[in-house]
Amino acid sequence: MDNIVIVPWEVDELTHEFFIPDYINMLAAEVLKHYSFQVKSMQVVTTKPDKGGSIWKLETNAGPKSLKLLHRRPTRSMFSLGAQKYLVEVKGARVPGIVQTKNGQEYIEAGGKLWFVAEWIEPLAPVTKDLEGAKQLCYALGEFHQLSKGYIPPSQAEVASRLAKWPKSYEKVITKMDWFRNIAKAYKEMPASQSILNVVDSFQEQARKSLADLKQSSYLSLVEKGNSSWGLVHQDYGWSNGQMGPNGMWIIDLDGVAYDLPIRDLRKLISGTMSDLFNWDVTWIREMIRAYHEASPLTPELYELLMIDFSLPNEFYKNIKEVVYEPELFLNETTTQLIQTIVDTDQSKWPALNEIQHDWRK
Amino acid sequence: MKILMICTEKLPVPPVLGGAIQTYISGTLPILSKFHDITVIGISHPSLPDKEINNGIQYVRVPGIVLEIYREAVVRFVQNNSFDLIHIFNRPRLVMPIRGAAPNAKITLSMHNDMFNIEKIDPTEATAALKEVSNIVTVSDYIGNVIRTLYPDSVPNIRTIYSGVDTERFLPGNHPEMREIRNSIRKQHGLENKTVLLFAGRLSVNKGVDRLIRALPQLSTKFKDLALVVVGSKWFSQDEVTDYVAYIKALAKKQSIPVVATGFVSPGEIQNWFGAADLFVCTSLWQEPLARVHYEAMAAGLPIVTTARGGNPEVIIQNENGLIVENPENPSCFAEKIATILSDKSLMKIMGIRGRELAVAKYEWNRVANEILEVWQQSIEAPLTNIQQNDPEFINNPQNDLEPKNAQQNDLGYTNIFQNQTLDQKVELESEFFRQEKNNKKDKKNDKKNKKNDKKDKEYNKKDKKNDNKDKKKYKKDQKDK
Repeated sequence: MDNIVIVPWEVDELTHEFFIPDYINMLAAEVLKHYSFQVKSMQVVTTKPDKGGSIWKLETNAGPKSLKLLHRRPTRSMFSLGAQKYLVEVKGARVPGIVQTKNGQEYIEAGGKLWFVAEWIEPLAPVTKDLEGAKQLCYALGEFHQLSKGYIPPSQAEVASRLAKWPKSYEKVITKMDWFRNIAKAYKEMPASQSILNVVDSFQEQARKSLADLKQSSYLSLVEKGNSSWGLVHQDYGWSNGQMGPNGMWIIDLDGVAYDLPIRDLRKLISGTMSDLFNWDVTWIREMIRAYHEASPLTPELYELLMIDFSLPNEFYKNIKEVVYEPELFLNETTTQLIQTIVDTDQSKWPALNEIQHDWRK
Repeated sequence: MKILMICTEKLPVPPVLGGAIQTYISGTLPILSKFHDITVIGISHPSLPDKEINNGIQYVRVPGIVLEIYREAVVRFVQNNSFDLIHIFNRPRLVMPIRGAAPNAKITLSMHNDMFNIEKIDPTEATAALKEVSNIVTVSDYIGNVIRTLYPDSVPNIRTIYSGVDTERFLPGNHPEMREIRNSIRKQHGLENKTVLLFAGRLSVNKGVDRLIRALPQLSTKFKDLALVVVGSKWFSQDEVTDYVAYIKALAKKQSIPVVATGFVSPGEIQNWFGAADLFVCTSLWQEPLARVHYEAMAAGLPIVTTARGGNPEVIIQNENGLIVENPENPSCFAEKIATILSDKSLMKIMGIRGRELAVAKYEWNRVANEILEVWQQSIEAPLTNIQQNDPEFINNPQNDLEPKNAQQNDLGYTNIFQNQTLDQKVELESEFFRQEKNNKKDKKNDKKNKKNDKKDKEYNKKDKKNDNKDKKKYKKDQKDK
């Protein structure tokens, strides 16, 4: 048992949706022996086969729990678990509490990965998919950011920080636009190649401008405030990881938290919502920002960065980056349509951003 | 003398997973150990015992990967053992903890890349560390110059000791011991009657092999018998598919010139690919310290096309053993230099011969080891700390030094924002990058399937999974309808 190393697994037509290899199920059983509760039943609720992660729901004599196999490097997972503990125990955040082992530990290491048990919060319900729901999500996000300030990871954990990485990630977007162009040229017979070639120059130009704006902004002085004074971003926050439960909004799935400027989460939530709406709606954006601001006040400097981060061609990049994998399949008619939708939605982005540009004037 | 060599926390010694620093240490140890009582501390690996004595050298292996974890174990070892001289490889951040654990040992530091840069080590700590080391050995003039530029007032003696190559292992393809291997590799991969261009290195943006692939269409119009061999993987010994690897594969697929990608080749076998090739191309776009592959290509008698980045040009005598690409961003610049060599068969041959001569004359491990022995001697004779450089003000108030350094700019024109970032953060960020980049390696179909699921419904999916499957389908349908 000691030498087992958990690796990603394959799923295909023959495996059922939540297939988990036997050796991982065996490890799970071993892990559960370290806890004092009695497991009545366990059920897989989600898997990440390509990364080697999984979540089970446990029914126990001490109520429902979740068991998680974290796919990240153990020292990285220690950062996130430390954060979860801090949020619950020090800050009283509405985040699931970690259940300790019989020996009082927060996690078990098995198969070269960390496993942990947390409380299963019930009932949890998603907010309504409308502006009111969006505002609830934003307010809860602001609360989360406020509460995460001051977190210092345990000494054996890696420090996960994206704070100083913004220029690098903007540069990556610019570089990958070259890749999209080169692939579209190499596969010029494919339906979507011409669509990419038609727009990639202007999107790349946008990204360059965003990077230039970032360099001109107060980004560097914000970074200097340091990791723990900014606190954590969730990195995967949205309509499923923020839900209504006992006493208010709960935030779940904290496994990817990292130090960063908090508005990164807000930007993703808003731009993702706008692309779901197929339209950049000034009222929605303003109301969402305002709801966030009520819980976590935005300064003019942060607002400026939010605007800059909006200006990146986020949706085009996010949806097209897959092209490097099997371009002969990806560059099909569906992708042509997708690009058209992104370009159309983008039409409303600039007037909207222009309109709200000065809302937080210094 | 009792000497401790401290490896980095990343890769084990001997270099079972490859690595330039690990190769450098292993290449020189047989000679160094003839003169001194040597202990090597490095990270553990399943294929290697945690403690062993091999050919008179004591190896100690401890957990690593994360510097903090490694540092703890190394410091503990140094506290419990005494050495006359401690040679630290490429981790200036180990100098101060080691000094604390061994107040009386002389310290030599080897620098293989940019670990003194402000985003890798806090300037206060760097300055202090520079005062504790008797001398610094670098793998290229370029690396030494970067340190001098960063810390003009604090550097001790810096000496370039170029790395080496085993010229009995790396042999030209027409050497009696290589001929058969060359022929069999070429046969196995459909490279008979081809002129084989070779790239060997990590498949990463910095290493730039995409530029070489993009140069192929231009070359294919002039040369009919070309093939490209790409040896390497995303990272040492990992055949993982990153976005970059997928990108270059997608480009390679559309070339009329055949491109053979070998994936990871173990360090013990890599000489065979050099033996099978006809021309070596290094495509590095970044300021590279000085890639080992240059020595290996020379030893294998291959003409070299490399880039004017970092230390790489230091081992090229233009038109003698190779050519230098001034603007490696542009694929045509590679096409041009490669064409120059390929169109002149006698030049191509002479360059190969000259390369082999240089490898044998200048780049054998003997020479590397002898130079290290000289440096150790100087280190032992040097005062305990780099006293002549000591700045009394710094000793009284170390924080003083931080202020002016804060204002330094790096090459992006940024004020120095990264200085508080630890190596771990760096590791984490890199892995974060890979995490995002990386996709399911083996079964792209799965990947596709997952991604499809992921895309629009990603947010809802999770919630659904937590509820119940029936709801899920209904919800998805709702989303689609919307």
